[in-house]
Amino acid sequence: MTTNATNGQVLLEARDLKKYFPVGRGLFRRTTLLLKAVDGVSFSIRQGETLGLVGESGCGKTTTAKMVLLLEPPTAGSILFEGQDVLRLRGPERKRYRQSVQAVFQDPWASLNPRMRVGKIIAEPLDINLKLSPRETKERVAKLLQDVGLNPHHANLYPHEFSGGQRQRIAIARALALNPRLIVLDEPVSALDVSIRAQIMNLLKDLQGQYNLSYLLIAHHLATVRYMCHRVAVMYLGRIVEEGETRELFTNPLHPYTKALLSAALPSHPDIQREEIILTGEVPSPLNLPTGCRFHPRCPWAMPHCSQVEPTMREVRPGHRVACHLYGSSA
Amino acid sequence: MGERTNHGDVLLRVRDLRTYFYTRWGVVKAVDGVSFDLHRGETLGIVGESGSGKSVTVLSIMRLIPSPPGRIVGGEVLLDGENLLALDEGEMQKVRGKRIALILQDPMTSLNPVFTIGDQVMEAIRIHQKLPSRKALVERAVEVLKQVRIPAAETRLRDYPHQLSGGMRQRVVGAIGISCQPQVLIADEPTTSLDATIQAQYLRLLKTIQQETGLSIIFITHDFGIVAKMCDTVAVMYAGRIVEKGDVRQIFNRPAHPYTQALLASVPKLEEDVERLYSIPGQPPVLHDLPPGCPFAPRCAYAYDRCKVEYPPTVEVEQGHTAACWKLV
Repeated sequence: MTTNATNGQVLLEARDLKKYFPVGRGLFRRTTLLLKAVDGVSFSIRQGETLGLVGESGCGKTTTAKMVLLLEPPTAGSILFEGQDVLRLRGPERKRYRQSVQAVFQDPWASLNPRMRVGKIIAEPLDINLKLSPRETKERVAKLLQDVGLNPHHANLYPHEFSGGQRQRIAIARALALNPRLIVLDEPVSALDVSIRAQIMNLLKDLQGQYNLSYLLIAHHLATVRYMCHRVAVMYLGRIVEEGETRELFTNPLHPYTKALLSAALPSHPDIQREEIILTGEVPSPLNLPTGCRFHPRCPWAMPHCSQVEPTMREVRPGHRVACHLYGSSA
Repeated sequence: MGERTNHGDVLLRVRDLRTYFYTRWGVVKAVDGVSFDLHRGETLGIVGESGSGKSVTVLSIMRLIPSPPGRIVGGEVLLDGENLLALDEGEMQKVRGKRIALILQDPMTSLNPVFTIGDQVMEAIRIHQKLPSRKALVERAVEVLKQVRIPAAETRLRDYPHQLSGGMRQRVVGAIGISCQPQVLIADEPTTSLDATIQAQYLRLLKTIQQETGLSIIFITHDFGIVAKMCDTVAVMYAGRIVEKGDVRQIFNRPAHPYTQALLASVPKLEEDVERLYSIPGQPPVLHDLPPGCPFAPRCAYAYDRCKVEYPPTVEVEQGHTAACWKLV
C-alpha cells in the first residue's frame, strides 16, 4: 500500500514540536534535569493518508501523539490543523478540533469503561458534543456499530461480554462517533490475537476509504506499518531521523538506524536471511543526550564530526528525507 | 531440497497429554491430547493464539499446573525415557531447573526485585549443584552471566533487577535458565516485552548458546516471525490440540491445515506489499463451550457437515508432516 490516496491536502502539520519534562534528582529533588522526550519533531498528514510513526520504546512517539491530541501541552512548536494554529484555539474552536481528532488505544480492556453499556460508551461523545434526541442518538449508535462490523443489538451489552477484537471495534466506533478527520491509532492491533489483527487492520483501511479519514499510526511492528501506512517517519530519541513513502523507505532505507531496525525485524519466511546490522550498546538516556548526532555512539558508520555536529533533515530523493551526515553534510 | 534437518535421538517425548481445568463453568480441556517429540539439539516452535493451550502444555511438562482447579488427567511426558508424570514432587524438583528450564515472558516479574542479580543466579546453582565453597559459587555465577554476554558480570552481581534494562534483565533470566546446564530450555514468549533490536540480540544469543551446549529449545510463541527465524520444527495449536506439525519449511511452504494456511495469509509481510490481507472470520473459541467436531470448523472456509460433528484424525501429508483435517483424509 503506497502511492494512492496521498494527493489530498495537508490536514495536520506539526512544526518543531518539543516536549521537555522536568525530572527531580537528589535529596528533596533539588536539582532538576530536563528529559527531552520530543525534541523538535515536524511532520504533516494529508487527507486520507496514514502516517506511521515507528521507533523503539522511549523514542517519543506516544508523547508526540499526546501533543497532537492536546493531552499534553508542547514545550515549544506549533500544530496546524487546516492551516489554523491549534495551540492558540480557545473555547468552541478548541472543542471543534478535539472533535475532529480522535484516538484508538492499544488495550481495549483498559480503554472501555467496564460499568457502561456499549451503547452508552459510543453515545457519550455524542451526548457531550451534539444535542441529539434519544432516537437520533440510538440510530447513530446503531449505524456506528454496523460500520465497525457489529450488530445494533450489541449496544445493550457490557464490554466484558466481548472478545478483544470486538472490543477494539467498539473503541473504533466511539472514535468515529463525531465524524473525525484524523484518528490517532496507538498500537491498535498489538494487544489482539494474531487471527484477529488482520480483521481490525482491514476494517481501519475500509473506514479510511469510506470516510476519507487520516490516520497517525504508532506501531513498533514494521510489517504492520508497511501494510497500513502511506508514509513512515522513523523516530530515535525524540527526533525524526528519516521519513518517506512507505515502499521507498522499506526498500531503500538510508539512515543507519532505520537500516538496523529493518535488519532486526523478524523474517516472514525461514529462507529469508537478512544481514543483521548489530547495534552496540543500548539507547542512551534522554536525560543525557549525546552531542552531535544522537545516534552516533551506536552507529556502525559514525565519522569524527558525527559526534560534534547534529545533522539536519535533508531531502535526498523525492519525498525521502533523512538526517544523517552520510548523505551530504549540512552547514 | 535438504529440508529435513538431522538431529540427535528423541530427548523429550510427549504422548497424548491431557490437562483439564475443573471450573464452575464446566470442564475446560486446555490441553486435549497433545503429542510431539523433541530431539537433541532441536528447536521446536509451538505456535498458537491465547487460549490455544500452548502455555498449559509446557506448564504440564514442568508439572506446574495449579491444582485445583487444574489436573493432568492423562498422557506421558518422557524425558530420556523417564515418565515425569510418574515422579513424586521431590524427584520432580530435581528435574525442574536442572534438566528442563523455563524462561517466562516478563523478566520484571520473574526476577525478585528485593534480591540482587547475584543472589538469584546463585540460588539456582546452589539448589542443583554441590559446589565446595561460596567462592566457587560466585565464580560459577560470573561464568553464567558471561555466557549470556552481560558486560562487567562481576560488578553486575551486586545490582538489583531495577538497575538493569529490559534486555539485560531477560539475559539474567536466561542465565538462571542455563545455569545448571539443562537438556531442554522452554522459552515462553521470551522476547515479546523487548524492543526489536534488543529482541534480535537476544535471539542471536540463544542460538549461540544452543550451538555451544547442544541444548534443545521449545519456543512458545504467537509470532510466525520468531518461528521462521529460530525453529527447526513447528507445532500449530488450536483449542487445546496440535492441528499441524512438521519441519519449518514444510509448514511455511506447504501448510496443510486451513487454520495454518489462514494464519500465514493473515500476517502482514515486511518484505513485500500486500494489497489486502486475508482475515479469518470469527473469534477463537471459548474452551468451556467447545463445539463438537473440529473447533476451527465455524471459522473454516472449507468446513462441511462432517467437520461439525466429528474431530478429524491426524494424517501424514508428507514425511514428517502431519495435520488433523477432514479435507486431507
